[in-house]
Amino acid sequence: MQSRFRKGTLWAAAALSGSMFLAGCGTTTSAPASGPAKTKSPAAEISIGTLYASTGSFATSSMPEYQGLQFWINQVNAAGGTYVKAAGKKEKIRLVSYNDQSSAQTATSLYNQLITVNHVNMLVADFGSVLTSVAVPIAQEHKQLLFDQSGTGTTFFTPNNPYIVLTSLPTSALWPTSLANYLISQHYKNVAIVYCENDFDQSQDQTLTRLLAKAGITPTYNNAVPTSTSSYTVILHNMAATHPQAVIELGYPNNDISFMQALQASGSTFPTTFTIFPGQLPSLFEKNFGMKGLNNMFTYPAPPLFTVQGVNYGMSIAQFEQAFKKQTGSSPNFLNVAGYNTGLILQKTLATATSLSQKSMRQAVTGFSGSITTLDGKFQINNQGAQIGETLPVGQFTVSNGKLKVNFMS
Amino acid sequence: MSTFLFAVVSGILFGVFFSLMAIGLNFAFGVMKIVNLAHGDFVMLGAFGAYYALSTFGINPFETMIMEIVVFLVVGVALYYGIIPRLLRSDDPEMLSLILFFGISQVIEALATLAFGTNPVTLPTNALGQLSFQLFGQAFESSWVISFLVSVVAIGLLYVYLYKTKMGIATRAIMANRDEAAASGIDVNRISAIAFGIALVLAAIAGTLTPFMLGGIYPSVGVNLTITSFSIIVIGSLGNPIGTVVGGLVYGLSLLLMQTYLSSWANMVPYVLLILILLIKPSGLLGKGARNA
Repeated sequence: MQSRFRKGTLWAAAALSGSMFLAGCGTTTSAPASGPAKTKSPAAEISIGTLYASTGSFATSSMPEYQGLQFWINQVNAAGGTYVKAAGKKEKIRLVSYNDQSSAQTATSLYNQLITVNHVNMLVADFGSVLTSVAVPIAQEHKQLLFDQSGTGTTFFTPNNPYIVLTSLPTSALWPTSLANYLISQHYKNVAIVYCENDFDQSQDQTLTRLLAKAGITPTYNNAVPTSTSSYTVILHNMAATHPQAVIELGYPNNDISFMQALQASGSTFPTTFTIFPGQLPSLFEKNFGMKGLNNMFTYPAPPLFTVQGVNYGMSIAQFEQAFKKQTGSSPNFLNVAGYNTGLILQKTLATATSLSQKSMRQAVTGFSGSITTLDGKFQINNQGAQIGETLPVGQFTVSNGKLKVNFMS
Repeated sequence: MSTFLFAVVSGILFGVFFSLMAIGLNFAFGVMKIVNLAHGDFVMLGAFGAYYALSTFGINPFETMIMEIVVFLVVGVALYYGIIPRLLRSDDPEMLSLILFFGISQVIEALATLAFGTNPVTLPTNALGQLSFQLFGQAFESSWVISFLVSVVAIGLLYVYLYKTKMGIATRAIMANRDEAAASGIDVNRISAIAFGIALVLAAIAGTLTPFMLGGIYPSVGVNLTITSFSIIVIGSLGNPIGTVVGGLVYGLSLLLMQTYLSSWANMVPYVLLILILLIKPSGLLGKGARNA
């Protein structure tokens, strides 16, 4: 009988390992959005390779970003293509994309495939730091410039890696500046922080605690949780036990939703409660928690929750909202903006690079850095490719006359 | 001290819920020697059922639970007659069941993604009641306590079924030896079909409670739930439904204590426990003795 148990146990263990492996490899048979390129730099079109996650924990964020990029491609191709300085004419864009199913393991092989099999002209990372982290060393190894849309982890940007450019968000090290300033301005002494274990959230926590320490504030609670955490009730209870004036949760949308659910269930209230993504995906959070649930919540508001002034490249936010709704039938969120903004950076790169070599494109990006302002903000990178032009203000949701509004705190 | 007590009581509440979530997987394995890799997906479907019933029609999760019990029992029996007798006639039913149910899992996840989208959804926790329960000076969410009570009742009913009814005794006979049970005149297929239906019913009940215990739900969460369930039944004893209760409690307590004192390592708990149990006592904590009791 015992051998039967052992056999069953081993079978099941093998099965789960197998299922994990197969789930990770599930997309390798997926066809690209358009046929894979066989030769580099085809004369009549520019191939852009990217990944998206239609399932899994990052689908919530990856898909709207991907839709934003697709929107830009549709706009460009409808206009007959984008100007490519290296070719001296307009060329159409061909998108080569694969579904990584939110798996970094799958993404690793697919990024390789885009570079070595599809030979794409331009490589664009999937959403966020987790799915970008595997692309960074691959792109560097193959000397392929990685257009990093929203992987803001500070560890991606190093002096010896010229093959990365962050397009649509400032590096994580800059995000908490406004938040730290706000907390310091409130003269808070008890701050409780929980963050997820990934480059995106860890680097924010490091910056936040460093800035708070400069002001003499040591968080009463500052612990990491796995990014896959879905239940925050016990963690929230432990944070509440330190009697914080501000509770800060740094995570991805799924984490923020679980955290807010735990907060709502506990009935706890704090003078300041902060989460990241309600400001980027307000409709998702409103659907889950209603206006009442978002009322008084602090966040980083992002376009279209505010309008960037002085746009000198691409559509304004109002034009984008109108055109996006016309094309897709739905109102855009920030991640749609981020995807479209990445397209604008690609477009400007093609318009200014003297050749389609990766080094030439990187030089082109450096050349126009600081000179363009899109609907997402000022595009400016440092010498390591990290975006430093955009800023993220801190805002607080309030409900006024039955409408959700954002009050800007910084 | 209060933090420790909160973690322990929460661990017990969660542990019993986890037991309920895993017990259907173990029950199906015990009776049919098949590994239902789609178990977590059935839990996920139960959770989405509760979400849509409440958000679209305003139906209370308890009423949804009763409806799901009927639906999942029918689906389970139909699924059994559709695939499992053929599977059991094969040379290696355990291995084939892995492949088959992995496929079913993928199909369910794909269909759920089409139906529900990729965004996580939540239920208001007060849907199960608004009172908070006080114990050792700590307040516990009513949804946790109610989920605990529902889990105790469901597991208790399974115990009563197995040990106090003729069909349950027949089920245990099949668990001990399928061929001998058939030789002694037990309608093995009928009893197994009902057992598979009950396994899915237990998954559905756990699913209805899942949004209140585990936060946001989304179509791909099923794989994680299967892994958690699998870890729990290995800790308790593979093939022994009652051992699952022990496994669930060990898992729940370990997870919540880790979340309290070493939160960044919390999600390693199932894997560490799994490895330890496989190394030290491969038959699980209750192992052979309890199975034969």
